[in-house]
Amino acid sequence: MLSAKNIVKQYATHRALDDVSLEVEKGKIFGLLGPNGAGKTSLIRIITQITAPDSGEVFFNGERLSPKHISQIGYLPEERGLYKKMEIGEQVLYLSKLKGLHSAEATKRIRYWFEKLEMKDWWNKKVEDLSKGMQQKVQFVATVLHQPELIILDEPFSGFDPVNADIIKQEILELNNNGATFIFSTHRMESVEELCDNIALINKSHKILDGAVEDIKASYRSNTYWINFEGDYPITSNEIYEVKQVERVKNQTVAKLQLKDNRTANEALAQLLPHVSIHRLDEVIPTMNDIFIEKVKGQNHE
Amino acid sequence: MNKILLIIQREYLSRVKKKSFIIMTFLTPLLIAGVYGLMGYFTYKGIKDTHDNVAVVSNNKTLTEKLQTDKNITYTYLDSSLDEAKKALKKSDYDYILYLPEFSLEQPEGVELFGAKQAGMSLNKRISGDIEELIKTQKLKQSGISQSDLDKLKTEVDISNKKIADTGAEEESSAGASTFIAFTAGILMFMFIMMYGIQVMRGVIEEKTSRIIEVMISSVKPFQLMMGKIIGIALVGLTQFMLWIVLTLTISTVAVSVFVSKDQVKEIAASTQAQSQITSGQTTVTAAPVGPIGDIQKSLAGLDVTKIVAVFIFFFLGGYLFYSALYAAIGSAVDSETETQQFMMPVMLPLLLGYALSLSVVTNDPYGSTAFWLSVIPFTSPIAMVVRIPYGVPAWELALSMAVLVGGFIATVWIAGRIYRVGILMYGKKTTFKEMFKWFTYNN
Repeated sequence: MLSAKNIVKQYATHRALDDVSLEVEKGKIFGLLGPNGAGKTSLIRIITQITAPDSGEVFFNGERLSPKHISQIGYLPEERGLYKKMEIGEQVLYLSKLKGLHSAEATKRIRYWFEKLEMKDWWNKKVEDLSKGMQQKVQFVATVLHQPELIILDEPFSGFDPVNADIIKQEILELNNNGATFIFSTHRMESVEELCDNIALINKSHKILDGAVEDIKASYRSNTYWINFEGDYPITSNEIYEVKQVERVKNQTVAKLQLKDNRTANEALAQLLPHVSIHRLDEVIPTMNDIFIEKVKGQNHE
Repeated sequence: MNKILLIIQREYLSRVKKKSFIIMTFLTPLLIAGVYGLMGYFTYKGIKDTHDNVAVVSNNKTLTEKLQTDKNITYTYLDSSLDEAKKALKKSDYDYILYLPEFSLEQPEGVELFGAKQAGMSLNKRISGDIEELIKTQKLKQSGISQSDLDKLKTEVDISNKKIADTGAEEESSAGASTFIAFTAGILMFMFIMMYGIQVMRGVIEEKTSRIIEVMISSVKPFQLMMGKIIGIALVGLTQFMLWIVLTLTISTVAVSVFVSKDQVKEIAASTQAQSQITSGQTTVTAAPVGPIGDIQKSLAGLDVTKIVAVFIFFFLGGYLFYSALYAAIGSAVDSETETQQFMMPVMLPLLLGYALSLSVVTNDPYGSTAFWLSVIPFTSPIAMVVRIPYGVPAWELALSMAVLVGGFIATVWIAGRIYRVGILMYGKKTTFKEMFKWFTYNN
C-alpha cells in the first residue's frame, strides 16, 4: 500500500537518507527500526509530506503521494504535544477537523473513543491538568480518529505505564484487524517481536536489512541449543557439536552447543543419552534485539 | 482554504476568549477615560482654586498705575515699610509680599517676592507678567499714546487654519489637532505592531515547545499554519482596536454628560488654553499633544476622520503583516523566549527608529524629505504614514507607500515562510543568522 523508492534526502552537509527503498504491505504492521540518528524520522517526515525527498518517489496505494493523501494518514510523532491551554475535547475536535472530518461526525467519534479508553470526563479538562500518560492517550485518539488507512506511530509506548501500554497495544491490534496498516518506529525490540509482521532496519542513512520478522529470525538461526542435564559427564566438543559454554551447579549441567554442519539435534541427543538424563533442550533463536545489535555494530565496525 | 480558516478561527477564539484579553479590552478605555477625566478635573479645580493674596510694598514712583487684582491674585498696597510688613506677614492674611523698588523703565531690577512658602512657577509668571504689562503701558503712555488708544490696542487674535486641498476647496484644519491625532496614531501603531507581533512570536514558540508542531504540520502546510496564526492574531488586534474606539467614545460621552455641565466644559477648555499659554510663556504654539481639547473638537470636523481611520487600519494590517512575519520566523528559530534577544534587536531597531523619527522629525516637518522617505520605506512607513496623514499627504505618495508596503509584506511573509518551515522542526541547536540563511535556501 505504501512503497518508497530510492529515497535520498540531503541536509546541507549531512545525508539523512541514501537510496532507501521500502515496501509496506496493506493490513500489516511494519516496524521501522534503527539507532538514533539513522534517518527514521527523516523517512517518516517524507511519508507524512512534512518534507519532500531530494530524489526518489513515494507511492500510496499505487498513486504518487500527494496532499490528498494527508487525510488517509495518521501520524503520532515521537516529539508530540498538545496546546496546553485548550480543552481536550475541543482540541481533538480541532485536530480532526484539520484532517478533514466534519464537526458532527468528529464529535461522535471522539465520544466513542473517550468512552472506550475511559476518558469520558476529560472533555472539558485542560491539557496542563493531565498527566503525561493521559496526554499520550489523547494524542493516540487524535491520531486514529479520522480512520486513516495508514497509521504511523513513532515510539508509541514511551511514557505509558504497563497497564495503559497494554490498552494501547490492544487498540493497535484491533485497528489492524479492521484493516489499518501500521508503520511502527521504535527502539523497544520486544514490542517489535510482539506486533510487527515486517521490518526494515536503517543505519547511517542506509537500509541494511528488511523482510518478514519470521524470515529474518530464521535466517539468523545458528543451529545452537541450550541443553540441561543431570549426571556426572564432562561434556566436550566432538564431531557432532561444539561446546560454546558450560556451567555446572552440583549435579546439574547447563551447556550451549552449536551443531556442526549437517548434524541434527537428534544426533547430539543420541550421543548424550547413554551418559546423562536430559531435562531440557531449547533452540537458541536470536531475538530482534540480538539481530539489531549485531547488524548495527557489524556495520559500524566496517 | 478550509484549513487556514480553521487555524484562523482557533487562533482568534483562543485569544479572544482569554480572561486577559477581556480585561485588557474593557479596562483600558475605562483607564484612558478615567485618566483624562481626572486630568481635566484637576486642571479645572486647580485653576479655579488658585488664589493668592499678595501684599505690595512699593517704593516705586516711576509706575503711576497700580497692579490690578484679578480672579487669581489679589494685590493689596501697604503703607508700611518692607521690614514691618515682613514681621507682620505671619499674622496677616497675605500669602506673599511683593517689593517694588524704584527702578527705571529701561532696567526694572530689584523686584522681590517674600513668602512663608516658596511661590510656584505659575504665580511668579503671573506677577512678572502683570508688572511687565504695567511697564509696557507706562512706556506707551510716555511716547504719547492716550489711554483710549491703549484700550483699543487690546485685541485678541485667533488664527483659524485653513488648508487648501487638491480640489481647491478650503478645509478647516488645526495644527494642534493634527499634532494630537498624529501622536496618538503613531503611538498606537507602534504599540499595536509590537504587541501583536510579539504575540505571533509567542504563539510559534508555544507550538514549538509544546511539541504540537509536528502533529500540526502532518495535517497542514507550515505556511498555512503560519499565515493562519498571523491572520488570526491580526483579527484579534482589529477587534481590540474597534472595541477600544467604541468603548472609549461611549464611556467619555456618558461620563461627560453625567458629570460635567455644558458651562463647565467651556470653562475647562478656556482654562486649559490659558494654562498652556502661561506655561509656554508668550509662544502660542503648543507642541505637546495635551492641550487644546476644545480646538480638537472644533477642527475634528475639518480632518477627514474616515480617511484617517481607514489609512490607520490599512497601515496597521500592512505593518503588522510585515513585522509579524519576521517575528514568526524568529519564533520558529528558537526553543524558548529567552533565546529571542539576539534576533529581536534587528527587527525592533527599524521600528523604534521609525517611531522616534516620526514623532520628532515628521511632526515638525510633515512634508520634508525625511518624512517622505520614512513613509515610503516599509520598515518605518506604517508609523510615519499615520503620523503624516492628519497633516494631509498627496494621493500619489499615499499610493506609493501602500504599494511598497504590500510588496514589503509579501516579501517578508515569503522569506519568513521559508525560514519557518525548517526552523519549527529544529530543536536543541542554538540558531545563528547564518543558519537561518541556510534554511532559507533549502528546497522543501
